[in-house]
This record gives sequence, C-alpha cells and structure tokens, in this order.
Amino acid sequence: MTAEATPSHTSASPTARQLWGHARGVVIAFVILLTAAVVIAVVRSGAEHGRLDPRSADGNGSRAIEQLLDDNGVSTRVVTTLDEATAAAAPDTTLLIAVPDLLNEPQQRRLRTATTASGGRTVLVAPGAPSVGTLVPGVTADPAPSFDSALAPRCDLPAARRAGTADLGGIRYQVTVRDADTCYPESGLPGLVLLPGAEGDGDTVVIGAPDILYNDRLDEQGNASLALQLLGSRPHLVWYLPSLADDSVRDTGDRSFFDLLPSGWLWGGLQLFVAALIAALWRARRLGPLVPEKLPVAIRASETVEGRARLYRKADARDRAAAALRSTTRTRLAPLVGVPVSRAHAPEALIPALSAHLHGDGRTLHTLLFGPPPGDDKALIALTDRLDALEREVRRS
Amino acid sequence: MAPTGRAALLAALGTLPVGIWEPSWTGILAVNAPLALACACDYTLAAPVRRLGLTRSGDTSTRLGETAEVTLTVTNPSRRPLRARLRDAWPPSSWLPGSEVAASRHRLAVPAGERRRVTTLLRPTRRGDRQADRVTIRSYGPLGLFTRQAGHRVPWTVRVLPPFTSRKHLPSKLARLRELDGRTSVLTRGEGTEFDSLREYIPGDDTRSIDWRATARQSAVAVRTWRPERDRHILLVLDTGRTSAGRVGDIPRLDASMDAALLLAALASRAGDRVDLMAYDRRVRALVQGRSAGDVLPSVVNVMAPLEPELVETDFRGLTATALRTAPRRSLIVLLTSLDAAPVEEGLLPVLSRLTQRHTVLVASVSDPHIARMATARGTTDAVYEAAAAAQAQSERHRTAGQLRRHGVTVVDAPPEELAPALADAYLALKAAGRL
Repeated sequence: MTAEATPSHTSASPTARQLWGHARGVVIAFVILLTAAVVIAVVRSGAEHGRLDPRSADGNGSRAIEQLLDDNGVSTRVVTTLDEATAAAAPDTTLLIAVPDLLNEPQQRRLRTATTASGGRTVLVAPGAPSVGTLVPGVTADPAPSFDSALAPRCDLPAARRAGTADLGGIRYQVTVRDADTCYPESGLPGLVLLPGAEGDGDTVVIGAPDILYNDRLDEQGNASLALQLLGSRPHLVWYLPSLADDSVRDTGDRSFFDLLPSGWLWGGLQLFVAALIAALWRARRLGPLVPEKLPVAIRASETVEGRARLYRKADARDRAAAALRSTTRTRLAPLVGVPVSRAHAPEALIPALSAHLHGDGRTLHTLLFGPPPGDDKALIALTDRLDALEREVRRS
Repeated sequence: MAPTGRAALLAALGTLPVGIWEPSWTGILAVNAPLALACACDYTLAAPVRRLGLTRSGDTSTRLGETAEVTLTVTNPSRRPLRARLRDAWPPSSWLPGSEVAASRHRLAVPAGERRRVTTLLRPTRRGDRQADRVTIRSYGPLGLFTRQAGHRVPWTVRVLPPFTSRKHLPSKLARLRELDGRTSVLTRGEGTEFDSLREYIPGDDTRSIDWRATARQSAVAVRTWRPERDRHILLVLDTGRTSAGRVGDIPRLDASMDAALLLAALASRAGDRVDLMAYDRRVRALVQGRSAGDVLPSVVNVMAPLEPELVETDFRGLTATALRTAPRRSLIVLLTSLDAAPVEEGLLPVLSRLTQRHTVLVASVSDPHIARMATARGTTDAVYEAAAAAQAQSERHRTAGQLRRHGVTVVDAPPEELAPALADAYLALKAAGRL
C-alpha cells in the first residue's frame, strides 16, 4: 500500500518576521523598562554625584573653590590613584585627600610616608576613625560629632582668625601632639587641627567637615576665606579623589592566584572559555524537538491475584489459603474417583470414594481434605505438599 | 542557526596562539574575529532550509512486527548546494527501542536545483496509527563551521495493523472445515446440514438417503447429499473495557482477543458465513457490517488497528442492545471478554438471556498462564500463599464459566497463544453440530 503526498509549503519554523511578531511585545516592554530605569537613575542620582570633585558643578561638588584658586594663581590637578598622589607630593604642593576613609591601611601608610617626607601641605577632609590614626598619629576622632554646623575659630591661627566663623562642625578630634594648632572647638574638641611637619616647611591640616569645600556652601560664613587660605598656601594643589579602581587597593602584600599565573595561561584560559561557549551552543542546538506519544496503560492481568497473595501473607490468613488449596484439590480429585464435581465438597460423598480408591484410612483423608486450618506457615507448606502427594497417588492408582 | 563542533575546535586551537604569542585582548581579537567572519560567511553560503520542497511517498500500512518504508523527497530550489543532516521524526514507538536515533537521522547532499530521496525505515512496536512529526533539516555551510536549521511539516500516517500471528493455524482449520463441508459430502441428514446435490448411488451408501422421487425421474438410483449450512451470521463482539487492558505476558488481553477474532473471521468467511465485527465498551468503538466474504478480513484488520483498551467499566446492557440491533437475524454472537467474576456477574449475566433467546452465544476469554504458574508454586511461604490466591482466582473463574454455561453459552477460556485455535475449534464444533 503506497501513496504519494502532494508538494506544498511545508516549513514549520517561524520566519524572522514571525519571530519579531511574537517577541515584539516583550522587546518593547523591556525597552520601556530600561528607559524608565535610566531616567529614574538620572533623576534620583543628583545628590551624591561628583561629591568633592573639583570638576563637578553640583551642589556637593567643589568646582567653585577650584575656580577661586585658579583666579588666585593656584593650579589644581585631580588624581585618582595613590601612585599619582604620592608622586605629586612636593614642597610647593598642597595635597588634598578628599575621602581619606576610602583608603585601606597599606595605602594610608604609603601616603603618610610620602607626605611626611615631602615638606608640602597635606589637607585631610573629614578623616574618620578608620584613617586618622594612621595618617595623622597623635590625633584621634571623637565618636560624637558636633551639634552645630557653624563654629567660631577661638584660636590664634591667622587663617582662622581672618576667616571667622566657618562650617567646620562635623567630626571632632582629640589631639595629643603638643605643638598643634587647634581651632573651631566645640565642647573643647577642635574641628580643625594644624600639625607642623617633622621637617622643613611641611604641615598637615585636618578639617572635621567637608562643608567649606562644597559649591553650595562656599558663600556662607567664612567658608570661602578659610578654604582659600588652607588650600592656597602653595602654588600647586593636587586633589586626590581615592577610587576603588586604583590598582594599589589590591596591593596588600599577599598576591592572589591570578597574579601568580603567567599571563599566557590567563588569556589562553579566556580563549578556551570562548571555545567552550561555542561548543555549548553547538551541543545545545538539537535536531528538532522531542516527539510526544500517548502511551497505552500497562497493567498486568495477574496483578489482583498477586495482591491477594500478599494480603494473605500479611494477614497470615492460613485458614483462607488452606481452604482455597483444599477446595481446588477436592475439585480435581472428585472426577478421578467418580464423584460429581457438585458433590466434591461434601465429605460424606468424597471421602468414602477416595478411601475405596486408595484403600487408605478415611480419617486421615478427612483431616487432610476437610480438617482444621494449619497452625503456622510451616504446617501450611506441609499441608500443600501432602495435598500434592495425595493427588499424585490418586492419579497413579 | 548554530555553530558546529568544527568551529568550537578551531576556537579551542586558538588557545595556543593566544597563550603563547599574544596573551592580550589583541590576541583574543586576532583569533576570534577571523573565526566569526568565517562563521558569518558560512551561514550566508549555507543552502537555505526554509525554501526546500519536501514530499513524502511510501507505505501507508504495515503489520506489527514488519517494516514500513517512507520516502522523503527533498527538492533544493536554491542555487547553492545543500549539505545537510536530516531528522525524520516519528513517535518513539515507530522504532525498536534504542534504534530510533540511527533510524531517523540521515545525511543528505542535494546539488543546486536537484532533488534527492531519503528513506526512513519504520519498525513499529505497537499497533495503531503512526503520524509523522516534523522533519528537521540542518544545512551546513561550505566550511562546515556554521549551520542553518529549520523544520518542515510533511504529514504522513502509517497504520500499523494487528500482527495476526494465528494465521499459521488457518490451513489446519480450513482442512477441518473442508471435512465438514459439502466437498466431502455427508450422506447423513441431520441438524445443521442443508441439501447439497443429488448423485448416483454407489454401493455402500446409506439406503435411507436414496431419493426415490429423483430415482423415479432418472434411470439410475439417486442419493441426496448434504452439507453443513452456509450463509450463517456471525457477530464478533470485542469488549474494549478496562478488563481488556490487562497484560498477559507482554500484550494486552485485547490484542490476544483480536488475534482470535481475526482467525475466526478468516475461517468463517471461507466457510461462507457472514462476519460482522463490533468493538464496544460504553459506546461503539468500531463496527464492520455487511461486508462480502473477500472484503471482510481487510476491513476487520483495518478497524482493529487503532483500537485501544479504554479504562472504563463495560456497559453490558448497552452492548447487548447494540449487538441485538447489529444482528437482527439469528446469529452466532462471539463475545471476546474476560471471565472476571464481578463484571460478568453484575454486568453480563443479567442481560445474557436477551442474547441467548435468539442467538447462539460463545464467550471467549484470555486466561493468564502466569496465574496457572502461580497455582503450582510450592516450597516457600510466599509461594504457598501465591498458590492459594491463584487457586482461589481459578476456582472463581471456573464458577463464572459454569454460570455462563448454565445459560447455554459456550465458553472458551485459553491462554493467549491457544485462544485463537480454541475459538476456531469451538466454531467448527458448533457448525458441525448445526447450532449456528
């Protein structure tokens, strides 16, 4: 029986147009979601963007002070790595460290070494407990910040006296160095500390709050005056913005596994990864989908009988088992000894015929074929064997 | 679209130049950019798959256990040669377990503008209709780095017919039939015989069969010969309810019943009887009615092919009513069902008298040799309990059969491989006894 199918358009795979038709909704929704996310991020991110960055014109940026310094002939350079910052330290340079708390311990030590030897000025903006101990030994940050933002100078430092009240309320410091200038105190603890360097002209300025450098706070109180005097004492200003991308962050002494590998291995591994990706794509593409099939039910016809056997076993139903076995034997024996099957289960009909046939003892036969159920499993097995033996005997004789 | 193993291998080999000479982004780019370019070229140059023309031809039916060839003709209308792998997907039972991957996949090369054939060899493991699923073609580019892939739907159905393994019994049963038939003329008149012909008296013939009237018209003494009645009606009823789903050995009871029904249908149609078939559980699943003798076996085989057991209790009341409608004249109704006590006692027995009133009824059932084996199990506690349960089941079965016999029903109860000949024998015995 053969036949031929007519040719027609048989392709079952979606075309590019169909794919676009199906995926269009999802793609458009994804694009809308992405756009919304970007817009929200831009709108909401104003607050902390470019904080203390001399290139930023935001409220938290420091472009205003940079412009003022530039007008006064002080050049400003922004650095983001520790190597640049330490290299820039020089007698004619002010090094401003914008967020000292971002530096880790080895970086702080390196910076400290560089600035101590330089003879220039180092300005630390609001160093907290994590950094002040290493960067400025002898100064510790008090855990309680000051209440007021604007503080009066109350010291003899000329710059402070000229500037007057300034927004230096923030972290307060405890100073144990003898010849340090301490200004803008609140409850006895200063918000500005000036420590003379160990050698030459160098010194270190610690200010407790970054407010005097912010664009939107520069015109308040004596902020501009104080900032210009602190940062404008040298012709060059190096503005160090610590960043996590700095290589020296990882330079912690113990080198990782990847640092120890030759770069050939590393790049070779990357190429091998690309190969694995291609292999995955190759293996993942199957030659057509699986074909489903309705399977027929598979029940063994003997399942109920097996279940009944297990039930007998579980319930130790020796009486029922013995009755079933005896009944079957009787049904098989009756025709052999000339008793109708309908009378096979009547002892008065079967037993005499059987004993006549076998010339045996009627009572034993009665016990075997109609007797009480066996007491235990062993007796049941024995009963079965004796029934079999009886049947064999009848068939033989 | 997907890369091939060759592309992955090339990328892996690229590890060496990257690792040894140029461990940097430059090296990575130098290896992967040419590879990507080659893949892109390969994709562009691979023959398009979607526009291929596919047609099928070949077998539309086969017997269970035999093979069917289905040919797929692939036409390449493009101007690029097609080098492809092709998977002709069919349901899993279309092949022997384990061989489906090898049987369904083909390698194929079709030059531009030409056509080629691939032949898929099916060897179904189950009865019923097998419908072709999709044809997936993966077209390789000239470099073998990248592929295009698409699926085509080319519908085709192969009907897998019941195996009719009991065919082997047919010659011996036909020989028995011929003995009964007029070809070996029977001189004794009796029930179940009809007048065949007159022939000349041969010494030794029974003198009682001399037709004196015919003798008077001729010069020689004529005797009448008789042959078994012909043109009787037989209705085969397959019970496709839940009891037919149980497996005896590895095949469902229904399949064993079908085999027996086929042998009987073949035998009865040769004997000149009219055979109808009905499959029923709660509604009519299949019906073959009023076919001529030559046509009955193919149509019975054909309607049997897609029959599957349904997991519902058979509605014997509806079955009886439908059978009576289907067999308006006096017929032999052969009911292929099970002898389980509950369905027979609650379903069949109350309505049996309506059938036996007008028809001769024969009930055929598949017994389970596994239960017979269990009944002889001895030695351990488990075995003895199994033997007891099996003995109990057997005695229930005998009792059910006895109840049916008391209603005048002929009961055939045999294991699957013996059911077909036993049923044929029962039919021949009924025919010989003139009870059709």
